[in-house]
Amino acid sequence: MSEEFNDNKTIQAQSSESISGGGSGAANDIDYVRPAEVGEQDLYHGHSFISKWVFCQDAKVIGVQYFLLATFTGIIGLILSWLMRLQLGFPELAGFMTAEHYYQFVTMHGMIMVVYFLTALFLGGFGNFLIPLMVGARDMVFPYLNMVSFWMFFIAVGVLLASFFVPGGPTGSGWTLYPPQAILEGTPGSGWGIMLMCISLILFVAGFTMGGLNYLITVLQARTRGMTLMRMPLTVWGIFTATVLAMLAFPALLVGALMMSLDNLLGTSFFMPTILKAGEVLEYGGGSPILFQHLFWFFGHPEVYIVALPAFGIVSDLISVHSRKNIFGYRMMVWAIVGIGALSFFVWAHHMYVSGMNPWFGFFFATTTLIIAVPTAMKVYNWILTLWRGNIRLNTVMLWCLGFIVTFVNGGITGIFLGNVTVDVPLSDTYFVIAHFHMVMGIAPLMVIMGAVYHWFPLVAGRMLDEGLGKWHFWITFLGAYSIYFPMHYLGFIGVPRRYFEMYDSPYMTSAVGMNEFISIAAFIVGAAQFILFYNIIKTLKVGKPSGHNPWKACSLEWLTPSVPPEHGNWGDKLPIVHRWAYDYSVPGAKEDFITQITPPSEVANTEVEKT
Amino acid sequence: MSDPKIEGYVFKPGFKGMADDTGSDQTMFKGVHWGKAMMWIFLLSDTFIFSCFLISYMKGRGSTIIDWPNPSEVFGLHVFGVDVPLLLIAIMTFVLITSSGTMALAVKYGYEKNRKMCGWLILATAIGGLTFVGMQAFEWSKLIHEGVRPWENPFGAPQFGSFFFMITGFHGTHVSIGVIFLFIYAYKTFKGHYDEGKRGWFTTMKGDYVEIEILGLYWHFVDLVWVFIFAFFYLW
Amino acid sequence: MHAGIIFFLVILGSVLFHIFTPWYWTDVASNWGGMDDTITLTFWVGGGVFIAVCLFMIYCVFKFSYKEDRKAEYKPEDKKLERILTWATTLGVAALLAPGLIIWNQFISVPKNAIEIDVMAWQWGWQYRLPGEDGKLGTTQVVNINDNNPFGINIDDPYGKDDVMIQSDVINLENNRPVKILLRSVDVLHNWYVPQFRAKMDAVPGIVTYYWFEPNKTGKYEVLCAEYCGVGHYAMRGGVIVQDDQDYDNWLQDQETFSDLIAKQKILETSKTKLAKK
Repeated sequence: MSEEFNDNKTIQAQSSESISGGGSGAANDIDYVRPAEVGEQDLYHGHSFISKWVFCQDAKVIGVQYFLLATFTGIIGLILSWLMRLQLGFPELAGFMTAEHYYQFVTMHGMIMVVYFLTALFLGGFGNFLIPLMVGARDMVFPYLNMVSFWMFFIAVGVLLASFFVPGGPTGSGWTLYPPQAILEGTPGSGWGIMLMCISLILFVAGFTMGGLNYLITVLQARTRGMTLMRMPLTVWGIFTATVLAMLAFPALLVGALMMSLDNLLGTSFFMPTILKAGEVLEYGGGSPILFQHLFWFFGHPEVYIVALPAFGIVSDLISVHSRKNIFGYRMMVWAIVGIGALSFFVWAHHMYVSGMNPWFGFFFATTTLIIAVPTAMKVYNWILTLWRGNIRLNTVMLWCLGFIVTFVNGGITGIFLGNVTVDVPLSDTYFVIAHFHMVMGIAPLMVIMGAVYHWFPLVAGRMLDEGLGKWHFWITFLGAYSIYFPMHYLGFIGVPRRYFEMYDSPYMTSAVGMNEFISIAAFIVGAAQFILFYNIIKTLKVGKPSGHNPWKACSLEWLTPSVPPEHGNWGDKLPIVHRWAYDYSVPGAKEDFITQITPPSEVANTEVEKT
Repeated sequence: MSDPKIEGYVFKPGFKGMADDTGSDQTMFKGVHWGKAMMWIFLLSDTFIFSCFLISYMKGRGSTIIDWPNPSEVFGLHVFGVDVPLLLIAIMTFVLITSSGTMALAVKYGYEKNRKMCGWLILATAIGGLTFVGMQAFEWSKLIHEGVRPWENPFGAPQFGSFFFMITGFHGTHVSIGVIFLFIYAYKTFKGHYDEGKRGWFTTMKGDYVEIEILGLYWHFVDLVWVFIFAFFYLW
Repeated sequence: MHAGIIFFLVILGSVLFHIFTPWYWTDVASNWGGMDDTITLTFWVGGGVFIAVCLFMIYCVFKFSYKEDRKAEYKPEDKKLERILTWATTLGVAALLAPGLIIWNQFISVPKNAIEIDVMAWQWGWQYRLPGEDGKLGTTQVVNINDNNPFGINIDDPYGKDDVMIQSDVINLENNRPVKILLRSVDVLHNWYVPQFRAKMDAVPGIVTYYWFEPNKTGKYEVLCAEYCGVGHYAMRGGVIVQDDQDYDNWLQDQETFSDLIAKQKILETSKTKLAKK
């Protein structure tokens, strides 16, 4: 077994590497970075196809695996949304759909997109791929655990999709899975469907915990020499904070799912009060449905930021690289991410203003919720102030970032409506809510994902994605998505409730028919436009332009590997040594408009570097 | 505790020094093994799980319509013709706390590279854990025998049975997993895997006595959780 | 360049859409006009920020797009600017929050003269109960519900005898008289929502929730269920008729009370037994 490990001698080389190697004595002094604290990591190198590509322990491959599986489930979610939009816009064409189907699709679409698509993609996908590269580690600290994490996710997705084929079909209780209806007759999938959903969520949480421990310990304990916390790219900060949130929020989901499974299987009454169904009193009693809502939203609100914080981090890096300017107010950005993360644990009940909980909670949760608006607004200001006096490359990546700013600010501001308890009363449970959260945690993070794909694809495949196709992809997606969700707010103003299979002929709802048709058409087009990306990727893999090293002229570590795409172990013989933060763009006096994180200070001694 | 020695790094005292350590390069917790840091964070996450359980229990107990049964009667034991409240549970708690002590000693002897002592103490801890699980099984069977079920309870609110079986079951699972690992670690210690630095099955890392401390952290945590469960179920 | 133009058109289009939209809220028909005012306030402040941020971004795109020979400014931080922005945002947010909290305080303080209405929800329908002449509703229990006792009123409770029972999904309300809606559900979550009244609250099985409003426009309104409650959710409608006091009193006269129902039941039973004897 031992020949599969590189019991290399670099451990010696690393820790005993002294100050020698520089030029003059003065240069030695400023280039000094203290020796390594942690020995070299042993890596398991797979030999067979299976150990290299299937049960792989390389975080980069695991990241891509996560990415592909999450995208696959995302496409299922997309197809479900098409079916829903078909029913809402053109019910006469959707004759095959019953109300049961509709509610099952609503539920699965929501759960897939939030948990199995966005969370898995940002943390599992980008987290695995980028964290070790960006902090200068050879791999995640526990590669084996990392591999198990992905395969747990794989099983969780399998269980989730299996629910389409069990008697009764998948659960149709809404993605919030509120009891009592989730496990009572009258809701589709109240037997098998909800059971599989709970099991799948428990598996997902277990698998995620394994991955999350890896991300956290890699960031905390396995950075390379010179990489202080305040030199890390904001992407790492975003993913790191999101992972902390996930580690503390998923327990509530786990407990809720477990208790609901017991209510369903054993007939316990954790969430079940006395219930009269079809003239008969069921054998439940004394439970509290609102308890589940608290557990669910104690998970559910941090979950929003589990998706949003990595997006904040990534978009900060993209904007900075492509405006050739440091991110404005880096320290403020870091503290805003951490602050938003911490506050997100104190706002959960703003999803429950009209749930029947004690109304006095409204004051507290409205206040905390609106406090979160301050750090969030600071982030927005800093993004646009980064553009200010920059040197903006208007390429595809930057377009996605600009699209993100527009949709995120729009969705963030409607969040102030819903967070402010009084305004929420007329708007909650209407289309306004749908429009708000799709804008802010559907479209905006998606814009970042797309930008990130165009940005980091060269690092994965060594080739550049096609810019022309990318721009088409962006404009159709952005304009289409905006015209889906911007008008939808106005349906909410009218008072059209969400989760309606059919509108009937309520006087103010008939006026919504034309709008629904328009939204549906836009949704079909936007969904179809995503296939431009797949075409682009396949085309690029075959005939794309080779990217070479560091095609975007970025400063951060992930572009500075000896080979592109990076190999297992990332850094070749020697780990990089970091001398500055990841944003030294356009430094006055420097030869080029960027100074990489590993450029020794002696080489750029004549520049006016302000921050390290 | 003295600070670990790290070449080229100067530890400074006070809050400022802590902030410096935290923000410095490479590691946040100086000289802390990766596995140990991982266990701490895992336990933090697990704390949230148990907190959610216990808070749900408090809410459930507070809002039920039927009266909650009297714990000292339900958990009482009839020995030698006298009713002794909480007898079994007192013994269980004692055994578990004792096993925490043996675990701590095992860690100490491990770091002293005293293989034999360390191995025997881990084994003793495992047996303590096993005894605890066994007594818990006895208590469960006693309650089931008396008619308590997750969905019903002859002594009062049915939620009593639901929460009791769920939470002690979840904790018992933790203990059982701990016992399995204790046996594995005892075996590995006796075999000398930690002296040789043999690679484990699930990890690519070389064996080291720090692993015993990591398992010890888990074991102490499970004990600590038991203290809370004990207080909430038996003393409230 | 064209990117900036398209983004500008998007913002312009949003503003125009808002001005010319045929889809906007229905006229408020209760005392909760304050809710509309807070929405409007939030709308203008928020909308202003949205437009300002986007226009600034578009300006940057025009002004600072890539030129080979230009270098971006190097300025990692600007403490003063960041401080000003933080405080300005905090003030703006506080200004939005304050009216919200004031109206919420009104929303949860029910006036003393409010008439209590028991709204009972099930899958999938509504029925209502008004206190009788004693002005108090009788206590209820889900297990009591049967054909002879559709609301599950405790038979021993003297307050329940004169309760007016409306076994229909339409209820009449008196204009300009505050009502306290007491919501309960016998099976799953529901929500009694009339868009024109603005207010809503979930009906939760096992507990009684409440909210209040004062209708101030006579007319007929549709009740919607606003909390997902199973496959029939979208079809779970009801009605409210707001009337002047004269009409309302006439309507109230015709409604059946619980004791009426019990009496009717007794007559039915005795006739049944008589029939059986014959």
